[in-house]
Amino acid sequence: MTALALPDKALATAVQKLPDNALAANRQAALARFLERGFPTTRLEDWKYTDLAAVADISQRWLENGAPVPSSASIGDRVAAIRAAIDIDWIVISNGAIADGMDLAGDDGLSVATFSELAHAPGFEHPLADLNAALLPDGLHIRVRAGTHHDRPLGLLIVDGADSQPGVAQARVCIELEEGSKAQFVEYHASIGEADHYANSIVELSLARGASADYVRIQGRDGHHTQTHRTTITLQDASTVRYSGFDLGGQLVRNDLDIDIAGKEANVVVAGLYIAGEGQHIDNHVRIDHRVGPARSEQEYRGILGGRCRCVWNGKAIVRPGADGTDAEQANHNLLLSERSEIDAKPELEIYADEVKCSHGTTVGQIDEAALFYLRSRGLDKQDAMRTLTRAFGASIVSHSPIAVLTDHLTEMVEGRLSELTDGGDE
Amino acid sequence: MLEIKDLKASTGDTPILNGLSLTVKAGEVHAIMGPNGSGKSTLAQVIAGHEDYVVTEGSVEYKGRDLLELAPEERAREGIFLGFQYPVEIPGVNNAYLLKAALNAKRKHHGVDEVDAFEFLKLAREKMALLGMDPKFLNRGVNEGFSGGEKKRNEILQLAMLEPELAILDETDSGLDIDALKAVAQGVNALRSPDRAIVLVTHYQRLLDYVEPDVVHVLSGGKILRSGDKSLALELEEKGYDWVREAANA
Repeated sequence: MTALALPDKALATAVQKLPDNALAANRQAALARFLERGFPTTRLEDWKYTDLAAVADISQRWLENGAPVPSSASIGDRVAAIRAAIDIDWIVISNGAIADGMDLAGDDGLSVATFSELAHAPGFEHPLADLNAALLPDGLHIRVRAGTHHDRPLGLLIVDGADSQPGVAQARVCIELEEGSKAQFVEYHASIGEADHYANSIVELSLARGASADYVRIQGRDGHHTQTHRTTITLQDASTVRYSGFDLGGQLVRNDLDIDIAGKEANVVVAGLYIAGEGQHIDNHVRIDHRVGPARSEQEYRGILGGRCRCVWNGKAIVRPGADGTDAEQANHNLLLSERSEIDAKPELEIYADEVKCSHGTTVGQIDEAALFYLRSRGLDKQDAMRTLTRAFGASIVSHSPIAVLTDHLTEMVEGRLSELTDGGDE
Repeated sequence: MLEIKDLKASTGDTPILNGLSLTVKAGEVHAIMGPNGSGKSTLAQVIAGHEDYVVTEGSVEYKGRDLLELAPEERAREGIFLGFQYPVEIPGVNNAYLLKAALNAKRKHHGVDEVDAFEFLKLAREKMALLGMDPKFLNRGVNEGFSGGEKKRNEILQLAMLEPELAILDETDSGLDIDALKAVAQGVNALRSPDRAIVLVTHYQRLLDYVEPDVVHVLSGGKILRSGDKSLALELEEKGYDWVREAANA
């Protein structure tokens, strides 16, 4: 198997076409790195279940067309619909361009700026970050000032897609929570358009001492679009992050969540729900690195799979030497509605310290027959009872999502997705 | 109302019911007693339509119809209610949701308007007060984290809400303290009417002190060995099940 590379010249031309701003030099360096390494391949342990050949193919065709900025006539409607459904302040990144919401920068302790304004050069330490840094028109930087508390969630809407030609779009957001600050964020990935599309995004979240963030990521891409997304979270002393991710769309989706516990008494709660139907592939890789202790992390992912699809969950907790007092829990539960669904679940613990408490549990199962009979014996028909039990399986993740204002919308999205799964002829 | 003839049923390769016959008329309360493993629970499950039990011979008629050809949900909508010996915990399904869905499934089947949220709440609160249940149970997962007694009360709450024509209560009295037992008995007695029939499957006669049966049957080895009035239950309590078995063999 050969490496998944992109044609050098065409890619260099695409980088050349980007807005000439403070990121230009950084792009060239990132481009050189990407050309050297290409996309990760299934020969790498971390990528063995997720083949990016389709992503490379879309990218190649996009380059052959002269790397146009993707455009879809329907994006405006999609944005309006999301704004109407979730009434919070939004910053919109549309096909890689920071389109709307920059006026949110106020004197209430929240600053918003572009990377180019700040001359902030995004780092690249991973092949997909190389590609992102090479092709990024501009990034979004958010700073929450020390000691300020923000009760109204800030929305980051990453929306992209193209109507006719294959499209590729990058997005990058950097969020800094200063000492003792507190804020809530909603990151919403949406795509639209008939053409094949590949979105590659990176979010970096850092929490200073005593800071606290509630964070919900919703991925509601169209069923034929692809995404790779990486989130890194760094926590200093006594900081807390509560993070929930919902994968409710997309054809090929890979999310990496990398959490670095660099401070004592840090607290991490991660939850995720992925729902996959016919033809979908959703991969969540979570890595929590306990560099120091005591600190606490827990993660629970749940998956509902119907039809011919594949999901991957890989949860890794690392406890470094000296990180005594670490408490790390991980759990992954899957409900398979079809014999053709496949889940590759892998919990991993790497422990190099003595005084630690670590646990993991993984389950894969079908609908509970005893519960099904119980509901039917009360008059619910079989289909209805199945749907009720399926919904119940994901309900705890939805109801524990840290941002209450989203609950109704999430419930609706999940229900919509589940009725497609249970009514769509999948068995 | 219920006419069971020569019923034979098995699970896997194991026969459990071996030619059981039973007639229950509207307005009657029957008690089915018997030692462990005699087939009491199997009988209850077969009537409710559990697919793990296969009927190999015999017939079950309910209100003049062949019951065995109906799916479990159709039996429920036609007025059969099984109170489970071990009520199932269903995390994530709200108790109120199940009660309302069950009630409306039945109403819809009979062409009656479905109840709305307000009507439902009013009704549910009324019944809960009657059973001495805290209304907060409505918003918990079905049986999730309930104690044994709470689960049984919850079964009786469903019974009270659904007002079935034929209620089969499978060891609803087992593991209850005296207060819970009285609450369960009260729920059952409130349901007694000339149009309804109740079958109490029980191991002990304790419940029968509070719910007086018209007929008592002794089940053993998958058959009814003896039937009589309520004095049979007292005799059983005194002499044990072996007495019936010996008498049958003699």
